[in-house]
Amino acid sequence: MKSPPFSLGNRFTRSALKKESTVSSIDQIMQHDHERLDALLEACATAVQESRWQDAAGLLEQFRRGIVEGHMFVEETMLFPAFEALEGDGEHSLTALLRKGHQDLRVFFQEMAEAIEAQDAEEFNDFLSTVQTILRQHDAREEAELYPHLADAMPDHGAAAAQRMADGQREKGHE
Amino acid sequence: MSEFQGCQLPEDLHYDLDYVWARPEEDGTFTIGVTDPAQTMSGRLQKARIKKVGTHLEAGRHVATLESGKWAGGVPVPFAGAVIARNDALLENPHLINIDPYGDAWIARVRPDDPATALERLHTGPDAVAALQAWIKRYDVQCMRCSD
Repeated sequence: MKSPPFSLGNRFTRSALKKESTVSSIDQIMQHDHERLDALLEACATAVQESRWQDAAGLLEQFRRGIVEGHMFVEETMLFPAFEALEGDGEHSLTALLRKGHQDLRVFFQEMAEAIEAQDAEEFNDFLSTVQTILRQHDAREEAELYPHLADAMPDHGAAAAQRMADGQREKGHE
Repeated sequence: MSEFQGCQLPEDLHYDLDYVWARPEEDGTFTIGVTDPAQTMSGRLQKARIKKVGTHLEAGRHVATLESGKWAGGVPVPFAGAVIARNDALLENPHLINIDPYGDAWIARVRPDDPATALERLHTGPDAVAALQAWIKRYDVQCMRCSD
């Protein structure tokens, strides 16, 4: 059974969801966050191509914080455990793979930051290509195999996780 | 040679218990490659980038990145060191990794900054094989080796 959406009257829903003023479900929120993060990474790549190294460093850090401290944090502490509880046998091969993807990505983000610091566009582009491939496959898997089950897996239908995502967006907006 | 769910796990190699195997050479360097379960998880590899000879890497940094149609990832070095050789054949034909991950498809040879501690993050023998079997189960891998 598809769970009802809930209201999030806050900045996150206005900025990230654009078309939907106040109402969205946890799977929609997470999918839109993928798109928001992809756009940030693209903006960083454009800054590198234009040799705007300071902008690139700032955009990469914004992306890194958004994905590591926001998106991945919510997934690893709230969404994956709920999915694993639903499946009922501890760590599931899907969440094991997704956690491993997060672990691998963290190293790549550090290497991308080092490439920007060294103003090495060729090195950055090599890492970018790999990271975008990882993210494309990782995000597709989450959207197909994980997110559709989240609302039913969580007692509050994902409201707390959605609120945590919104709070993270609000904090970043105030920096 | 141990085998688990079709995956070959040589007991004489050293492993980071994730993607990577390392073999100590007589000259103090280490040859590095990816394991059979790792190449299986990756699928048919289509692209490989390997750091140039002379590149210095901190422990955990990627000496190579690999991509297939369904997977992309990095090959981290288990210790800090300098790349002294790389397998250029893989740049032309990354699929070799799917065919012979422990032999012709070695990825790079690295000289550790501190040979005395190079093995600290690596595991070998029956304990390593048991940990790799757990890895294979965790990610639900069933190995299949390509012949061409």
